[in-house]
Amino acid sequence: MVSKTEEAEVNRLESQADNGGGGEWEYLSLVRKLKLRRPDKVLKHGLTILNDPKKRSSLGHDEWTLYEQVAIAAMDCHCLDVAQDCIKVLQKKFPESKRVGRLEAMLLEAKGSWAEAEKAYLSLLEDNPLDQVILKRRVALTKAQGDISGAIQRLSEYLEVFMADHEAWRELAEIYVSLQMYKQAAFCYEELILSQPMIPLYHLAYADVLYTLGGLENLQTAKKYYASTIDLTGGKNNRALFGVCLCTFAVAQLTKGRYKEDKESPELQSLAAAALEKDYKLRAPSKLSLLGSTLRSLKLSS
Amino acid sequence: MAEDLVLDTAIRDWVLIPLSVVMVLIGVLRYFVSKMMRSSQTPDAKIIKEGQVIIRARNLRAAANFIPLKSFRARRVYFSNEENGLLHVPKGQAPNPQAQMFSDPNMAMDMMKKNLSMIIPQTLTFAWVNFFFSGFVAAKIPFPLTQRFRSMLQNGIDLSTVDVSYVSSRSWYFLNLFGLRGLFSLILGEENATDDTQRMMQMSGFGFDPSKSLGAEKDGLDIVQHEWALPKFEQRAEAVLRKLVS
Repeated sequence: MVSKTEEAEVNRLESQADNGGGGEWEYLSLVRKLKLRRPDKVLKHGLTILNDPKKRSSLGHDEWTLYEQVAIAAMDCHCLDVAQDCIKVLQKKFPESKRVGRLEAMLLEAKGSWAEAEKAYLSLLEDNPLDQVILKRRVALTKAQGDISGAIQRLSEYLEVFMADHEAWRELAEIYVSLQMYKQAAFCYEELILSQPMIPLYHLAYADVLYTLGGLENLQTAKKYYASTIDLTGGKNNRALFGVCLCTFAVAQLTKGRYKEDKESPELQSLAAAALEKDYKLRAPSKLSLLGSTLRSLKLSS
Repeated sequence: MAEDLVLDTAIRDWVLIPLSVVMVLIGVLRYFVSKMMRSSQTPDAKIIKEGQVIIRARNLRAAANFIPLKSFRARRVYFSNEENGLLHVPKGQAPNPQAQMFSDPNMAMDMMKKNLSMIIPQTLTFAWVNFFFSGFVAAKIPFPLTQRFRSMLQNGIDLSTVDVSYVSSRSWYFLNLFGLRGLFSLILGEENATDDTQRMMQMSGFGFDPSKSLGAEKDGLDIVQHEWALPKFEQRAEAVLRKLVS
């Protein structure tokens, strides 16, 4: 997760580089360190550095890392000839390297020659059958081909061994949600919450999945997780506020007639509604009436 | 008797500084040699999996209160189940690691290489110090010491009346041995093979780690009482919103 200061720094460097103020190398290094995905900017600034022989030689050993970064960005932007040139340069310098082999296989993937890319990855895996990056690239390959269930299978196999890799769990959760397999997605989100309990994003996603699953118990649990998201974000997350209102409404619908008052937090929904109104008044006053009518239909606002 | 011995500055120039310089150089040399000699270790799937299982079990224990009771119970059973739980180590497997350590030729070679690269320079330097730099007082330690250190620090000096603060060059060698670690991590970066003391500590706890820590995690997991923290969060959210809205 990127912190606020780092985000501000990246944006500042980006605007500085965009306006021709120099500082491209710092921007690229920061993007690489934070593992951000901004292929167009990386490509533009990377090529400015690489095409200028003076700047290139001033980099020294980092030149090759920059080549790799630009190659990946070029593949993201589908400038495959640029990527090919970068990889050729790297190949000349490091002939037997596995890292370059991985880039070549990625280029095959970008070109769409799936079978050859698969073969390339398998040969790289022969040397080191537990290479995390290559295993993950195979999953991406399967997903890109459209074979989602194959991707799920490969990812599950990967997680059998590397079960502490929370990024993999997150990817699996998103795949399950896209396939509407909500129970499995809930399991994955639980794993994520276990590994990093203080990140509100995971609480929010888990609450969303629980709300979608439905059923009284899930709705009540979902409301609790929306509440925890509100707590972790200081009340600023509108989605969680809406979630609380919707959950309360849904629970009330389900327990229509039966008295099952929520003793733990009777005022949560009205407070959430009030917070929403305040935020809308501040940021989108034109939509305030829309919000008001929505909340009224949920019987939460007066 | 606490007389003040005056030490020749030539001792400083010709003993202390050369000894330190030589040790630094030998350390750097060892670092490069070990880099060249290091065989790429192919990671073992079983060991990696065990490591990851431990991390996951630890996360479960730490954050158990954040997930609903049912999920926690399901996971606990998954981990500590008698038949095929991940953390359950059947009795027969426990003594394996040590036998494995000696039977696996690769690992044995690796350990031997590491040992050699550590022992030989140490022995040689120590012998060199003893041969050239013994029999005289090399330095004075600034703080007073008890008599018990005499045998350790004043090896070549056979006068029993000399204050224990005056030490021989052998103790300077030992001081350098343990003290230059910090300097090496500055010059050579994080991973350097000169971390003798660390390696010596590691040697004792080598192969026993996996099965013991698995058992420890299992016990820890069995003890955990699940107390769902989420209701508390609801009240906190209320408080937060109240403050926000008012």
